[in-house]
Amino acid sequence: MSGADSREIERVAIVGVSTYWGRELAEVLAHDERIGSIIGIDTRPPDSLPEGVEFIEADIRNPVITRLLPDLAPDVVVHCGIIWYPEEGRPSRALHDINVIGTLNLLAACEKVENLSAVVVRGSAAIYGTAPARPVFFTEEMARDLPLVTRFQRDIGELEGYFENFTRRRPGVTCCMLRFQAEVGPDLDSPLVRYLSLPVVPVQLGFDPLLQILHPVDATGALAAAVVNPVDGPVNVAPDGSMSLSRLLRLAGKIAIPLPPIVSGALFKRLGGLLDGADMYRDGELLMRFGRGCDNTRIRKEVGYRFAFNTEGAARDFASGRPGPARFVHPPRPGAGVRVVP
Amino acid sequence: MTAGDSGRSGGIGSEVVWANEVLDVWERALRRVTGEYTEDEWGFDEEFAEAVFPSFDFLFSKWWRVEVEGVRNVPGHGRVLIVANHAGTIFPFDAIMIGTAIQKLHPLPRWTRALVLNWVWQLPFVSWFMRRVGGIPANPANLERLLQQDEPVMVFPEGVKGFGKPFSERYRTQRFGRGGFVEVAIRNRTPIVPVAVVGSEEIYPKLGESELLARLTGAPYFPLTPTFPFLGPAGLVPLPSRWRIEFLEPVDLSAYPPEAADDPSLVFDLSEEIRERIQQGIYHGLVERGPAFI
Repeated sequence: MSGADSREIERVAIVGVSTYWGRELAEVLAHDERIGSIIGIDTRPPDSLPEGVEFIEADIRNPVITRLLPDLAPDVVVHCGIIWYPEEGRPSRALHDINVIGTLNLLAACEKVENLSAVVVRGSAAIYGTAPARPVFFTEEMARDLPLVTRFQRDIGELEGYFENFTRRRPGVTCCMLRFQAEVGPDLDSPLVRYLSLPVVPVQLGFDPLLQILHPVDATGALAAAVVNPVDGPVNVAPDGSMSLSRLLRLAGKIAIPLPPIVSGALFKRLGGLLDGADMYRDGELLMRFGRGCDNTRIRKEVGYRFAFNTEGAARDFASGRPGPARFVHPPRPGAGVRVVP
Repeated sequence: MTAGDSGRSGGIGSEVVWANEVLDVWERALRRVTGEYTEDEWGFDEEFAEAVFPSFDFLFSKWWRVEVEGVRNVPGHGRVLIVANHAGTIFPFDAIMIGTAIQKLHPLPRWTRALVLNWVWQLPFVSWFMRRVGGIPANPANLERLLQQDEPVMVFPEGVKGFGKPFSERYRTQRFGRGGFVEVAIRNRTPIVPVAVVGSEEIYPKLGESELLARLTGAPYFPLTPTFPFLGPAGLVPLPSRWRIEFLEPVDLSAYPPEAADDPSLVFDLSEEIRERIQQGIYHGLVERGPAFI
């Protein structure tokens, strides 16, 4: 179903439009002349929506969605409702319900949409797990090779399982699962960014993870590119190159304090709470010990997205501390000119 | 008079050199602290590797007096897989010495990556150090990606079976895993350079092991050598044996189509052939080297 650049989409439904990434995507798609109309779905209205985006209040955890969605008759459903960190009104104990049950319900609803051409899910690279010895760059077929040890990793594993079932049952629909690396940017507000922005950053003694730093511009750009040109199966969203945590902190002018494991375990848990990361501290603790890298050949070659920033560029942009390089409206399109930041 | 002049000007000259050196070190330190250096996507830090290289060079030339044969068998550019016997019990100095030999004696020197035993990567500091000097977790996917980037890569197919064998079994190559390295080499049309290392078995002669300490540390085994752990950290100083590293004739796999990698009997035969050549190289090397320590 993946088509050429000229492909027209009559109607896109963005589920989870009130999340940061849902709103960013709506902003981009609203300015894309290849998109007919946009419907945003979420449990609460977003702070602002671009003109022309219709908002519908609905909860994907509620089976009502299976009646609502077929009536809206979208060509493409984008699921931005998988949340990584607890937010206001979405405590960490609700994450499993929102992420797993919500996705299950949403896919059930998608089965009833007749003219559906594609489903795009904004998932996570957490499916690859975190471990000391491993492929340094995971390719898409390596999912679940490592044991999934945190709750979030298991949730992602579970919802990808539902997604694979859906893919088998609806062969005519292009089912694209995007696996995002963690985004880091100066104007982003997430527990990971808050952690990296601490004046003095506690790190784990003797460990220095290799990280891929996904710039927010690319996070939204890749998502938009996948909506316009979806491909079947999982696709990693990760920038070129990688960088050690120590170098990232040095570039940002931070002081790292190495802590031995006895102290760092308890501290990360406490810090997780302070930074509003709640249960996610465990994912962060593992990531900040062993790191994780993903191969990005599929998103570059098959989806055709060109990254605006490599890891180093994203890190330098974060280190500069400026609130974003001109809050973008038009991210690089597939095939657009590249702006590589050294 | 003239002698005094030249003496004075020599003094000023050396002061200038000295001052320049201090400035250089200071500038480099400043760059490091502000993160202005490069790492590749594997976390290899060339500047760091260069900084520790003198200590490798000391071990190479002074401590182990390494004699090298056939370093030109390693191609000067493009992908190559270097396959060697493994020993050392405590620290993989053989990998470091092979890398040092290529860096020091090859007409076209390159940094060689080494696939390092999985267990190492959970260790603090050790994993940190290994990655900076070019170590990479042993995994076929990593090997494949490195070869596709045209890097020279070292593998030790004996793995921990060779690395941790007792002193009484020295210089007897163990089974070469499942020959996965041959599969990857065939698929990626990579020449294999077998290497026979002599001397690495005597640096930490493993006389026994402690099961209790192994369980406590989570290590695959805990070696007991004449000096370790009885002399504490001082027992970690490797014995000054005499080494000989021989790079053997490359094995050309370009005649095999990539599908040949799926033929287990071919892969096994090739892997066994390479093991046999390394074993012969070791026997030859032992004779050439003579006594272990003098």
